[in-house]
Amino acid sequence: MLALLADGILDVLQLKYLVPLAAGTLIGVVGGAMPGITITMTVIMVLPFTFGLEPLQGLAAMIGVYVGGESGGLITATLLGIPGKPSSISTMFDGFPMTRKGEPGRAVWLGVWASFFGGLLGGVFLIGATGWLAEIALEFGPWEFFALFIFALSMVAGLTEESLAKGLLAGALGLIITIFGADPIMSVPRFTMGSELLRGGFPFLPVLIGIFAFAQIMTDIERARSLAESDASARDLVSLAVSHVKVVGEILGRPFLLLWSTFIGLLIGVLPAIGGSAASVMAYDQAKKLSRHPERFGTGTPEGIIASEASNNANVGGSLVTIMAFGIPGDAVTAVMLGAMTIHGIQSGPLFMSQETTLAYGIFAAYLLAHPIMLAIMAVGARWFLRIVLVPKSILIPVVLVLCVVGAYALNNTMDSVWVLALFGVIGYGLVKLGFPLAPLILGLILGDQIEVNLVRALMTDSDPALFVTRPISALLLALSAGSIALALWQRRRQRRRQPAADGAPDVDF
Amino acid sequence: MRKLARALALLALLPTAAAAYPERPVKLIVPWAAGGDTDNIFRPFGQAFQKQLGETVVIANIGGASGTVGAREAKNAPADGYTLFAVHDYIHLTYYTGVSDVAHTDFAPVCAVASTPSVLTASPKTKWRTLPELVADAKARPGQITVGATLGSTSHFFPAIFEKAAGVRLKYVSYDGLAQRMNAILGGHIDLTDGNLTQKGKVDAGQLRFLAVGTEKRSPEIPDVPTFKELGLDVVYAVVRGVMAPKATPEPVLATLDGACTKAVRDPVFAQSMKVQGTDVHHLDRKGYAAFLARVDAENRLLAQELGLLRR
Repeated sequence: MLALLADGILDVLQLKYLVPLAAGTLIGVVGGAMPGITITMTVIMVLPFTFGLEPLQGLAAMIGVYVGGESGGLITATLLGIPGKPSSISTMFDGFPMTRKGEPGRAVWLGVWASFFGGLLGGVFLIGATGWLAEIALEFGPWEFFALFIFALSMVAGLTEESLAKGLLAGALGLIITIFGADPIMSVPRFTMGSELLRGGFPFLPVLIGIFAFAQIMTDIERARSLAESDASARDLVSLAVSHVKVVGEILGRPFLLLWSTFIGLLIGVLPAIGGSAASVMAYDQAKKLSRHPERFGTGTPEGIIASEASNNANVGGSLVTIMAFGIPGDAVTAVMLGAMTIHGIQSGPLFMSQETTLAYGIFAAYLLAHPIMLAIMAVGARWFLRIVLVPKSILIPVVLVLCVVGAYALNNTMDSVWVLALFGVIGYGLVKLGFPLAPLILGLILGDQIEVNLVRALMTDSDPALFVTRPISALLLALSAGSIALALWQRRRQRRRQPAADGAPDVDF
Repeated sequence: MRKLARALALLALLPTAAAAYPERPVKLIVPWAAGGDTDNIFRPFGQAFQKQLGETVVIANIGGASGTVGAREAKNAPADGYTLFAVHDYIHLTYYTGVSDVAHTDFAPVCAVASTPSVLTASPKTKWRTLPELVADAKARPGQITVGATLGSTSHFFPAIFEKAAGVRLKYVSYDGLAQRMNAILGGHIDLTDGNLTQKGKVDAGQLRFLAVGTEKRSPEIPDVPTFKELGLDVVYAVVRGVMAPKATPEPVLATLDGACTKAVRDPVFAQSMKVQGTDVHHLDRKGYAAFLARVDAENRLLAQELGLLRR
């Protein structure tokens, strides 16, 4: 197998594969960094060019986009506090505060190196455990998916900030948003109030951009006057320089955090229809739970960035597992890749690895090589994009606003998304003003549809509700959910008790 | 001067502005996600189509709510020939089952391009090797054998036609889209689903079983799989995909599109990419497609009624 992999790497190192791979990675980084431009859209953009190419050339370009995109999203998340794509939300939780503290270089590079290590570790697992991981994924029926999403939802308790009630309310609001529009089973309209716009429901991405980007921009505008002054002094205050040795040390000095986040990313990637955003939120929550200083999360702690970025890059590896093992796309991006294979006449499915060995190992190799390429692109690009933080806000804010609106429109090529964006911009700003945390809301939004669909599906398959607790994997996940809530509540109480003493503690975690 | 006069004369000959069609890129709305079966058929078609049309054809994936969001968008688009709609038989079903208000009569047909026969596909965790074994088991356990389907769409109707022909009762579970159904059927969480030839790889690997194909004669790609007809069941079902334009699109524009489509379906690259996807190139011109749509619409209405799903 190692020999096959070495062959694969040598294959992909040829210029005819390396060029599309590098071009794809670059396009991915740029697309990932733009708020509202998803990786899926970027891959679709690349798709027509791959028709005329060899299959591996096309797939290499798409894998480049996928890996580059996962990393590109962290640029906007850390520097502007706006997630470039959904799976960088949790990178923003700590990355942006770190930038505000005057360390944008450290924030970005922590993310980049965490992506690099998480992605490569994920790749090692991907190659070693494709069959094994895929077998587990097949065991997941609607009961198990329902229990898994409940487990993910239980993390709301860990993601709330000062007020538990406000956190739970925000989570519930997220769930409620998913009820609007056609129901996911029979498309029966719900709460549409006769409006054509509401028939399609509230699509996830415009809501996300609205809530995060608009809320962020509005608070920036509020402080525009003081920001204008700080722009002038920013040049002296902000440190763009960064010690790579120190950053890499910060990541590798927390091997457990890195491995655990990678594992979560991979696992979520293997399970279909969940995606990187849930992976990064879950990894972030786990990091916080396992940390000795959970109170530092959200203030610019390196652990938060590492957990989020390592897991969302490993998630890419996980998504490739199902496509390699069964020919089933795990998410929208791999669906496009599978489409490209189908158009080239490659039979996907369980025999893919044995029938198309060269291509399969070429895909592995492309995935592994995309990571150093991404690192190189970031190294060259950092010099320029780090300067975003120095651009006067009066110029930056309108540009970001335009990008958000264009992104929302391009998402589905309809104006409806733009109206949704505007509506949720207002709602998000209101919530921030009232002191509601936004993370639980997003979690509810990500999970609402999936919880509903799988609950209905499970009951349609067998009307016996006891199956949720008698099927072992499902029962285990539900027990973990209860445990997760208990742990979060216990941690809050302990934190409150120790609050006065904790202030002077040294900066060591894990 | 003479040149100018000649140019003016030429201009005068042009009946309407539409004769200049197309002068900018044409948008083809695919009402599902990229990478799905419909997308995989219309992307190569788009390439062939734009060669004949002389303008770029942009595929716009507008997914959501069983393909009805894209349908509504296409219906409301300006009828100038710059927005087209890639469609299949779901349009009748979502209308009659009350999922959507958009009907095929909201559009002007352009042409049909491809036909994908449905194959009744079983999970490897079931014990049936052949269709008669399934029928016998289904008669013994009415309403217990599960079928994964996009409710109210083609993957629901194909098993429902079989159900009626064989006189059995099945249980439907909602799985939107082929990818989700495949995951569930490989894991044995559903017993049956509507598949097609793109799943051949999984069948060869023993991970899925094709029980019967909904064609008149056996398919040369899967010669071992019997047709329903030879097993005595009158089930013929294929998903026909075509192109439509908003209702009020001018006649000359439709004629241009029809002509380009007729040539595009003969493109050998398109034919090859359909062959590897287990789909037949199935061309019908404007008139033929209109007749086909009218016939299928009536059939679907009857079907929805018989299955108790008619909401209109």
